[in-house]
Amino acid sequence: MSQFKFIKYTEENRTATITMNRPELYNALNAEAKVEIVQAIREANKNNQVHSIILTGEGKAFCTGQDLNDRSVQVDNATIDLGHTLQTEWNPLVTAIRDSKKIVLAVVNGVCAGAGISVAIACDLIVSKPAVKFVGAFSKLGLAPDAGSTYIFSRALGYQKTMEFFLMGEALTSEELHTAGLINAISEDPMAKAQEYAMTINGLSPLSTEMIKKNIKAALDSNYNESLERETYAQRFLGNSADYKEGLTAFLQKRKPNFTGN
Amino acid sequence: MENILLEYPYREDSHIALVKLNRPKVLNALSTDLMQELVDCMLELDKNPEVRVIILTGSDRAFAAGADIGQMMTATPVDQINDQRFRTWEMLKLITKPILAAVNGFALGGGCELAMSCDLIIAGDEAKFSQPEIKIGTIPGAGGTQRLTRAIGKSKAMMMVLTGDMIDAQTAYDWGLVAKVVPAQALLQETFELAKTISNRAPVAVRLAKEAVNKSFEMTLKDGMDFERRNFYLTFASLDQKEGMKAFMEKRNPEYKGN
Repeated sequence: MSQFKFIKYTEENRTATITMNRPELYNALNAEAKVEIVQAIREANKNNQVHSIILTGEGKAFCTGQDLNDRSVQVDNATIDLGHTLQTEWNPLVTAIRDSKKIVLAVVNGVCAGAGISVAIACDLIVSKPAVKFVGAFSKLGLAPDAGSTYIFSRALGYQKTMEFFLMGEALTSEELHTAGLINAISEDPMAKAQEYAMTINGLSPLSTEMIKKNIKAALDSNYNESLERETYAQRFLGNSADYKEGLTAFLQKRKPNFTGN
Repeated sequence: MENILLEYPYREDSHIALVKLNRPKVLNALSTDLMQELVDCMLELDKNPEVRVIILTGSDRAFAAGADIGQMMTATPVDQINDQRFRTWEMLKLITKPILAAVNGFALGGGCELAMSCDLIIAGDEAKFSQPEIKIGTIPGAGGTQRLTRAIGKSKAMMMVLTGDMIDAQTAYDWGLVAKVVPAQALLQETFELAKTISNRAPVAVRLAKEAVNKSFEMTLKDGMDFERRNFYLTFASLDQKEGMKAFMEKRNPEYKGN
């Protein structure tokens, strides 16, 4: 679709693919690029023909975070307010990924740095090329990690390992993050692997995948009893859906279900 | 009724009524006409002895996005007084049966105030609450500085009223504005479940309990305690109280008739 300048957007086989397309800048994102990704996610969510979203980068990098040439973050700009950049650009971007009703898969084709890491780990499933470096460059610039990375890393890696990562500024590899459970699969052809995941997801009930995402995300912030409650609400709702009837019937008839999202 | 829809019996349950705000194109902006229809409908339901619980809801995108700004833009103070809108709002207080607000999407300004006028709020997890009047040069006029302050405390109420910024459903829950957060899609199902539970309780006791809780906002503790005690005594005048205690002793479910 031609309305995008900094990304490519395609829809095929019920999967929308968003490709960050500034390879010459290792997919560092300026303000417009971030807005475009958010728009593309919204578009994919509105389209009933789309069931999953793949997010990837063109060229050697997945995403290297903030485009430091963008006016809003330049030091000589008297009104520099990085909090504002986060509130109006980065936070809406990672929130759009996390709030997307459709499952978002990251295909990490190359290096992730700074807030680029946040974009990757905001996704629901992550497939990476081998030996990809994840660089939290914040401390070297005199900054602190942002865009949700403290939340996700501390939960996945634990406190000390996360401290080391963000203080020392040394890269973690995709293999290390795979071991830690932050990356689902490592593949020489991560796009093919992600499309495989997407094919499976596209065959499921959209109501079910949406609820699964919602409840697992909520569970990270809830106690046991709250999680039990959310599970109950979700199951009561899904139990009334036509898709559940179809799923159960198909199971008993030993055939593939044909889900409609109702 | 053009501006609201009534589903009664709701989900084939003759004890439960669902009232739906129905101006989706304007995010259920609360015009004077809509409020009048809403109050008329509620008064009717209150009179119907079969009805035990009322659910008030909006649409998926918005519970209600506030008063009708278009209607108010050029108003003078005298217009506002003559409009009698607030008198209509006040009449919601006359409803004796529990009103459950089921909130999906935006509950802004008058929408937030309308939700707070109900007896309790259930929110879908994508709901948003705010009192944004300050952003357009005015202040809340239907309880946004009073009920909100009592619900969440002064400091948080000040922050909401002075910034006009929105809070999400989880925050509203943490602050005590809403009783429960449920997945947005499951909102009506879960509110219905709660309504069913309440409708299985003794109707007279439910009304007396509602009245007593609401009095706690109007009275000193001593007067409130006296009021509560009187309503407690009053329940012993109902057959349902006899039935409730008898069923308890006989280890069976009570069957309440509402008398």
